[in-house]
Amino acid sequence: MKTLRDIGLLFRRKMKETLRNPIYIVINLLTPVLYLVLFAPLLSKLTNTPGFGTGNLMNNFIPGLLVIVAFLNGLFVGYNMIDEVRTGVIERFRVTPTSRFALLAGRVLRDTVNMLIIVNFFTLIAIPFGFQVHLLGYLLFQLILCMIIITTSSFGNALGLILKDEERISPILQGINLPVLLLSGMLLPMELAPKWLNYLAHINPAYYAVEAGRLLASGIIMNAKVGEAFLFLTILTVLTVTWATRVFYRDIS
Amino acid sequence: MDQSVLEIKDLIKYFHSRNGLVKAVNGVNLEVYSGEIFGFLGPNGAGKTTTLRILTTLLKQDSGTAIVAGYDTKKDPDQVRCRIGYVSQAGGSDDPATGRENLILQGQLYGMSTSVAAGRAEELVHLLDLDEFANRIVRTYSGGQRRRLDVALGLMNRPTILFLDEPTTGLDPQNRANLWTQIRKLQQEGTTIFLTTHYLEEADALCGRLAIIDNGHIIAEGTPEELKKRGAGDCITISIEDSEEKAPALIQLLQQTDFIHDVQYDTTHIRLYVKDGATAISKVLDILNQQQIVLITITLSAPSLDDVFLHETGHSLRDINAEGQEK
Repeated sequence: MKTLRDIGLLFRRKMKETLRNPIYIVINLLTPVLYLVLFAPLLSKLTNTPGFGTGNLMNNFIPGLLVIVAFLNGLFVGYNMIDEVRTGVIERFRVTPTSRFALLAGRVLRDTVNMLIIVNFFTLIAIPFGFQVHLLGYLLFQLILCMIIITTSSFGNALGLILKDEERISPILQGINLPVLLLSGMLLPMELAPKWLNYLAHINPAYYAVEAGRLLASGIIMNAKVGEAFLFLTILTVLTVTWATRVFYRDIS
Repeated sequence: MDQSVLEIKDLIKYFHSRNGLVKAVNGVNLEVYSGEIFGFLGPNGAGKTTTLRILTTLLKQDSGTAIVAGYDTKKDPDQVRCRIGYVSQAGGSDDPATGRENLILQGQLYGMSTSVAAGRAEELVHLLDLDEFANRIVRTYSGGQRRRLDVALGLMNRPTILFLDEPTTGLDPQNRANLWTQIRKLQQEGTTIFLTTHYLEEADALCGRLAIIDNGHIIAEGTPEELKKRGAGDCITISIEDSEEKAPALIQLLQQTDFIHDVQYDTTHIRLYVKDGATAISKVLDILNQQQIVLITITLSAPSLDDVFLHETGHSLRDINAEGQEK
């Protein structure tokens, strides 16, 4: 009970912060919009390329973008965590009987809600560009996106708490960021890749998310790839949250 | 004396460093009584902050016990947390929220209902003179305003004991004096205060009792007056011409006398600790005459806590802090 209440309190605190500066939502919305406007037109001649299928171009392209949004909005929260370690806010909470899990979960929950706001806003923008929403598939895809941001936000927050220094966290986050994005096939389908690159993509959880997202966005739910994505992402989410929780329970020196 | 609200026994904490295991806190024993302002002094890296972090449940010791507000910090951290307030060096106020929101959330995290928390917040806004800016975003606060909010946050749960870690570091003299007044006011209202500082004049001005820690050990403990009397006696400070050349021989000579019980030398000044300053000063002048050493300055002073520190550790607190680095 105490834990749930604490999660609610700490979620409200972070959410208020977001709503006071809605500009950050706009900035985070800008990345996918720029891709949509400045990159998507390049794809228009590729509709019959293998991997794109013959379906709707936007329904193949937009899910990848949404995975980027979920991934990035979570990963880089480590910087904000470091900020709060530096100003002593985290330490202050830790000297109260606040649930340690709530210290993590309140933040992750805010990031998740933030992401959902951005994703749905963006979807509205993308509809006039030709994105067709299949409701059930789209809802299931949002679940996948939630698992992605829960994973990256837990990871980013825990890493921030361990490292306490922007200069130390930066190379790690950047080192994860680019390979994960490149190997996810979010911009171009991995079917176009040579074999070795395709194999490499198969160890990347984001790849499964993108693949499943493309199917779900087109209303294909009963598919092995969708099942794989849910399975792998559930395992990853559980592992990451468990690890991050342990970090939040540890002593801090 | 009054009831004990904090009791540390044989506290030991190791850290792993490049050179192996380091004892940051090495067998500390302390007791703090209800209603007092207790000062915990020492240079950076002496074990001061580590001890404080154990007392506030942020760290667990390797051995020994710490009982705070009646509970064991290692076994019952949540019970301790409910009964202490802590204001860290960094502060702890949340920048993007208003002062009042900070206070109310803090109360809620202690389990208060929103209305109880709001009521307590209102009391503290008055007590620490936050009225003018309580509804402003913290990012806009001045250093002194922020510090007062930090302290108010530490008081939300009406703690049995309030820990202040270097509360006046970084404040200008006016804000420092202001905070001292607030701290005294808190004591008058019955709060026990445990404060760390490396300003000796601060400890002297505020604390009823204090302990000095160096290299993980408590090296002195008592009231400021006791410490000054015990260690140092009066202090005669002299500087001489051709100091570099002549000082070593002179110091050797002075150490052999029976009226000087300690000599400290810091390249420009020689400090002599004596029982009775007035008679000692003429004897010192005689010696200088005999040795044909030209005196530049000579001063006689009652000992400060800095002298106590110098006397007990062989190094000056100020020197260490000037180059000191916190781990």
